[in-house]
Amino acid sequence: MTALALSLLVPWAVGLLLVVLDGRRRTVGWLGVVTLGATVAVLGVLAADVLRGGTVAFVTGGWPVGVGILLRADALGVTFALSSCFVLLAAACAETLLGVGQRTLPGLLVLLAAGLNGLFLTGDVFNFYVFFEMSMIAAYVLTGYGGGRAQLRAAVIFASVNLLGSFIFLVAVAGTYRVTGTLAMTDVAERIREVPPNAAVAVAVGFFVAFSVKLGLFPFHYWLPTVYADTRPAVAAVLSGAVANIGAYGLLRFGPGVFAEQLRLSATVLIALGAASIIYGGVLAVARHRPAEMLAYSAIGQVGYVLVAVGVGGPVGFAAAVLYSVVNALNKALLFLTSAVRGPLVAGAFVVGALSVAGVPPAVGFVGKLAVFRTAVDARSPTLVVLLVVGSALSLLYLFLIYQREFWAEEDREAVTDAEVRDAAPARGVSRRVPVVVLAVLLLAGGVWPEPLAAVSGAAADVLTGTANGAGP
Amino acid sequence: MTLAIAAAAAVLFGAGAYLLLQRSLVRVVTGIALISQCAIVTIIGSSLSQGRAPIDPQEGGPLSDPLPQALALTALVIGMATLALLLALVHRVVVTHGTAERDELRDVDRPGAGGDEAVRHEGDETE
Repeated sequence: MTALALSLLVPWAVGLLLVVLDGRRRTVGWLGVVTLGATVAVLGVLAADVLRGGTVAFVTGGWPVGVGILLRADALGVTFALSSCFVLLAAACAETLLGVGQRTLPGLLVLLAAGLNGLFLTGDVFNFYVFFEMSMIAAYVLTGYGGGRAQLRAAVIFASVNLLGSFIFLVAVAGTYRVTGTLAMTDVAERIREVPPNAAVAVAVGFFVAFSVKLGLFPFHYWLPTVYADTRPAVAAVLSGAVANIGAYGLLRFGPGVFAEQLRLSATVLIALGAASIIYGGVLAVARHRPAEMLAYSAIGQVGYVLVAVGVGGPVGFAAAVLYSVVNALNKALLFLTSAVRGPLVAGAFVVGALSVAGVPPAVGFVGKLAVFRTAVDARSPTLVVLLVVGSALSLLYLFLIYQREFWAEEDREAVTDAEVRDAAPARGVSRRVPVVVLAVLLLAGGVWPEPLAAVSGAAADVLTGTANGAGP
Repeated sequence: MTLAIAAAAAVLFGAGAYLLLQRSLVRVVTGIALISQCAIVTIIGSSLSQGRAPIDPQEGGPLSDPLPQALALTALVIGMATLALLLALVHRVVVTHGTAERDELRDVDRPGAGGDEAVRHEGDETE
């Protein structure tokens, strides 16, 4: 319980302080990094508690159950919180080493961590919305980081599209209250069974659209390439590695966790959309020229795997979805962060990331891909297996196109007058490459020793299928 | 009453969606503001019950449901904050790009983003 409270209070309190201070000063930047490190440590303790002793939950402010705000940490929420905060830590580290360009950056990253922890660790639908907006507001401002024309344009697009998504979510929340008369997730999950099917499906579709916009799935992806490609590398890493986790978590929490019946009804649609995402993202990534844009389309393709796994469902499918979300967050963080630094070490790190995205054995991506393939085999669908293989082949192709252009043609780069390259000022100091290299080593370590990850995602899937012990108060 | 509220929410969403598709960024922001109001009207409509204000309830008599009111208040505050942020963003865009038209933003885009745009405003990138 202490760890649960601390995981929210630490980033929240320090974040408020950091926003006031000048983030361009080195000490303030490092204070942000230390805070995020402390948050990750607290979440680690919380995760150990949850995995050992089941769900941790308490009502804030000592209110009776049903009146106060319920905070609830189960295996699913803790896994997502831990991976998102870790990505934030890596991005903060990388940006502080390169030199922070705007005063609010450390504070915003820390506040984003507070918002994300809040929404991953709550048991109430409306509370989820409040933390969701809190993290999104931090993300809107972060998108504009750098202050250039391209970044501002990206921020306007990101903010307007995602605000629309947020309000659709809010309408769905109102619908949930209308049809069930409650907003506690466990109660909603129980009472939704007696709700007329039409109303329940309408509400479920509202949630699905809201989270798909956040995740950038195929028919809702239109904002994503511009935003990921035009923001600074550290911010793109945060958006694709931490903020997009909201969508994946939301799909899992509200899909199998609350609207289980509706999810079964729409499984075919979800699998079709996921497959479309995989192929669309892969093909367009191959067709693009700028690395950041290729990575952005790659992000659209990668989330397709998560949706396919959710659509197939069952313990295997949900475990694969959780595993793939975590792996994808780390992959994307690594790949976007490498675009800010240069050198042979970074090239090596990029190769690890590329192998991981394509699912080649020594990297952890292999474990994720394997889990999704198992899901497809479980669904007894040869078409799906073929689609997944094509998607993986495409990702290997576009990532090595990037590698060839970015790391082999080192001399040609000097001639390029691309504004992004000038902005990013390729850094050559050894210390600046540390976050990227650490992430790469972690991806390799996860691939060599995947048992902990597999165990955690299995426990998270148990929460969703209702076989976990201790479902909260 | 539910029908009236549903109609009001539908009109607000429709008007908001129409404005969202306009070229002027100020209209886009207005559209988002209208859609946020649609969400709040929907929340109020989600539990309509006639009764006295749910503060210091006395014996007997129906009470109106306090939860949607609390939700609507919270949503209003969040909506206002995001609206202020969005307006500030548009203001920054007007200062940097010198225009509040969505299509003109694309024209001053960074070279290479769309593939074939000419290299313009080379020096303006850092200010």
